[in-house]
Amino acid sequence: MRNNRMFVFKAILWCVAGLAAAVAVLRFALGLGVATALSDTTPWGLWIGFDVMGGVALAAGGFVIAAAVHVFHRETYHAAARPAILTAFLGYGAVAVGLLFDLGLPWNIWHPMIFWNIHSPLFEVAWCVMLYLTVLALEVAPVILERTPFQKAYRFLSRLALPIMILGIMLSTLHQSSLGSLLLIMPFRIYPLWYTHLLPELFFISAICLGLNMVMFESSVTSWLYRREPETKMLGGLAKLASAALAFYFVVRIADLAYQHKLGLIFAGTWEGNLFILEMLLSTILPMVLYTLPAVRRSPTGLWLISMGSVLGFVLNRVNASGLSQIWATRSFYFPAWTEFAISLGIVSACGLIFFFVQEHFPVDPHGLNDIEEQRELADKSSPAFAPFTQVWLGEGWRKSARVYSICFVVAMALGLTLAPKTEPAVTRKADRARGANVLRVGDGPRYVYFDHKRHQDEAGKEKSCGTCHHLHLAGDVGTPCSECHRRLFVPTNVFDHDRHVERAGGRESCAKCHGPGEPQSLTVVKTCQDCHQKDMMAAGNTVVTAFKNPSAASYKDAMHKMCIPCHVTKAADPKVNLPNLGRCGACHDSGTQSEKAYKTEVPPGQEGIGRT
Amino acid sequence: MIQNPCILTDVTKCIGCEQCVAACKKINGLPAEDAPPRPGNSVDGLSADRWTTIIRRPDNHFVRKQCRHCAEPACVSVCPVGALQKTPEGPVIYDKSICMGCRYCMMSCPYGIPHYEWNSAAPSVRKCIMCYGNLKSGKISEPACVTACPQKATLFGTRDAMLAEARERLQAEPGKYVQTIWGEHEVGGTSVLLIADIPLEFLALNQGHPLGDKPLPERTWAALKPVPFEFVGMGLLMGGVYWIIERRKKLALEAGGAAAKDTRGEAGHEK
Repeated sequence: MRNNRMFVFKAILWCVAGLAAAVAVLRFALGLGVATALSDTTPWGLWIGFDVMGGVALAAGGFVIAAAVHVFHRETYHAAARPAILTAFLGYGAVAVGLLFDLGLPWNIWHPMIFWNIHSPLFEVAWCVMLYLTVLALEVAPVILERTPFQKAYRFLSRLALPIMILGIMLSTLHQSSLGSLLLIMPFRIYPLWYTHLLPELFFISAICLGLNMVMFESSVTSWLYRREPETKMLGGLAKLASAALAFYFVVRIADLAYQHKLGLIFAGTWEGNLFILEMLLSTILPMVLYTLPAVRRSPTGLWLISMGSVLGFVLNRVNASGLSQIWATRSFYFPAWTEFAISLGIVSACGLIFFFVQEHFPVDPHGLNDIEEQRELADKSSPAFAPFTQVWLGEGWRKSARVYSICFVVAMALGLTLAPKTEPAVTRKADRARGANVLRVGDGPRYVYFDHKRHQDEAGKEKSCGTCHHLHLAGDVGTPCSECHRRLFVPTNVFDHDRHVERAGGRESCAKCHGPGEPQSLTVVKTCQDCHQKDMMAAGNTVVTAFKNPSAASYKDAMHKMCIPCHVTKAADPKVNLPNLGRCGACHDSGTQSEKAYKTEVPPGQEGIGRT
Repeated sequence: MIQNPCILTDVTKCIGCEQCVAACKKINGLPAEDAPPRPGNSVDGLSADRWTTIIRRPDNHFVRKQCRHCAEPACVSVCPVGALQKTPEGPVIYDKSICMGCRYCMMSCPYGIPHYEWNSAAPSVRKCIMCYGNLKSGKISEPACVTACPQKATLFGTRDAMLAEARERLQAEPGKYVQTIWGEHEVGGTSVLLIADIPLEFLALNQGHPLGDKPLPERTWAALKPVPFEFVGMGLLMGGVYWIIERRKKLALEAGGAAAKDTRGEAGHEK
């Protein structure tokens, strides 16, 4: 019997894996900046939110089923135990591989082994995942060894099974909850609906719920793919268990929100509130209610759909807590680059392919394997001439499927290498800050002048001259007007306003206050600015103003003309601007005879105020 | 090097000339020109190549942003390998040779200080280190940004001295300043203090809610402290449940004989 369903599915997985392989090359060669949309405000993205947070939670089925079967002696679920443990092993492997992509310095991934920081939740997660991966390898090993000549090792590991299972449950408890502890340090990032001191506990309980749903989902999908009878009795039992676990989770979560007086936020109509409702409906409320209906529990399709919804809902919970709920605080929307999706899906695909390979060659599900082997034998008999050594039960020769799969992989990888970005995305700056050319706003209306900051700085005395102009800034001052320095209309002026000082100091009798006593009066100033203005202007001991040498500023007319006219002339010559009279005096001055008209008629409607400075 | 070094910035004195930024870039060997910002980065101007920056606020207020060198830094507490360290003197420094690049420090900083070299294939976390190496070796007596400031808007000294100076200024001109020393108690106190005539809550990622005075690491430590007990407890619980169920079955077998069928408590895959 042919099984095209499986064949097509595997071909798709190989395509995705090929695409991911291409992105992987670029990620390691060019860095995270090119391969991801991450930024300093969103340093954790899809690879942490989905691959690590979601991946660990998805693999929870392993410890939940191990506990149910081996500790609580629920033999009904025995058929699910080995697939669940294999999934957990692959899931944690995927988490480790996903981390290799996400870590900036992946070759240092082993560092938590020797550099310890027991205060870090991530340190604990790292150790637990390392140990649990080892434990899972020991749990999976008997499956691989069962039908091999290594019977001694098989029997030894089988005898150790129970302590190993219990160790696995202990480790899972710790790191499932520690993934919640991980987020406790960021109350300022996470939206209040997700941030609570119970995060570790909620993560642990939801991992159990998710684990049960994942086992159901996986069992249904495998049955469908291999065209097998679904294990309805076992699924029904799991649904009952899941319903109870979900109810517990629901009560704890809502009670916690009520205790913190946050229930109002759910129905506030905000984006976060609606996201919370969607998450809770999908992950908890719908399956919790529907699983209690006997009709649903008997329907394989119903269970398949509901468990998938719940799994998606809980993955959404992890993504929400570690990502989406933080947009509120960072105000920077992050959407993963397609390359990030490619890696995530590629890792999942690779896991799927390994899962199917193990399932087809080792007694993960002894009953299922017999089916597969029967089909394989049938295929051998039906086409002996073309496929003398048929390893795959698909009905096609393994050479053919291998050829198709490798073409899928290579073509997808080539496509990925062509399409993936090779340079970092860049933002063009809206305005140049501070240095060089600046546009200053003058007055209250939309009036702007070009201001050459660098030239002013150079003429006033380079680096140490900032205080020459900027000390004029006082709280509430919107900016120092140009006329503060460019005071006279036709002749260059000293920046120091002698007339105003004379006036304020008391007129012609007050010269001695600054110039000192003696006849005739000396031009040398005996007082520095800060002697009088210390309180308004500068800190004690500031050398800026004492070194101030009264540089003269160009006259107001020259300053404006030199600054405006060159640009006006250039623009007038530009046909695109279409203002040929812009360079003439009348463009700004009202005194001309025809000039004002000439300017006014050329101004596009609605822009009259602009440009007249 | 002095114990508990601290930088006090008086926002009312700052004129926004960015001499501090230039000096910081020079002493730390950072490129003078900033690379274009990454899409999605915050607009405060900080980047891997710019460890201190001036934020322009309305009405010519210039607020300097840099690492706050917290008394109990969240970044140090969350780093799984201890690549970020609180030195015995006070500044928080970074060691690339230990770092594995998880970026948890960037997630945990309430001020959004650590920045990443996104365009590098071997990236580091970059942030202000209060010129620790140079101060320690005695090459300079105060951080480069402080020396560079033409307005003496930013000062350097022990934390106690800076707090005293800040209090003195607030008292001398109560009408001018907002009566808060930013960094005095926030998240357990920081070694970079600011006083200003405008509120400075915007420096932290807090959405208008105050950060509170409780150090952030206490939150995770409360969850991590009982971990060994949870671990052992779960083991005992699982072992206990197994033992009880196993014993019950044995008793039922002895009592019921043939009535108790299919009650083998063996691990399933041994069948």
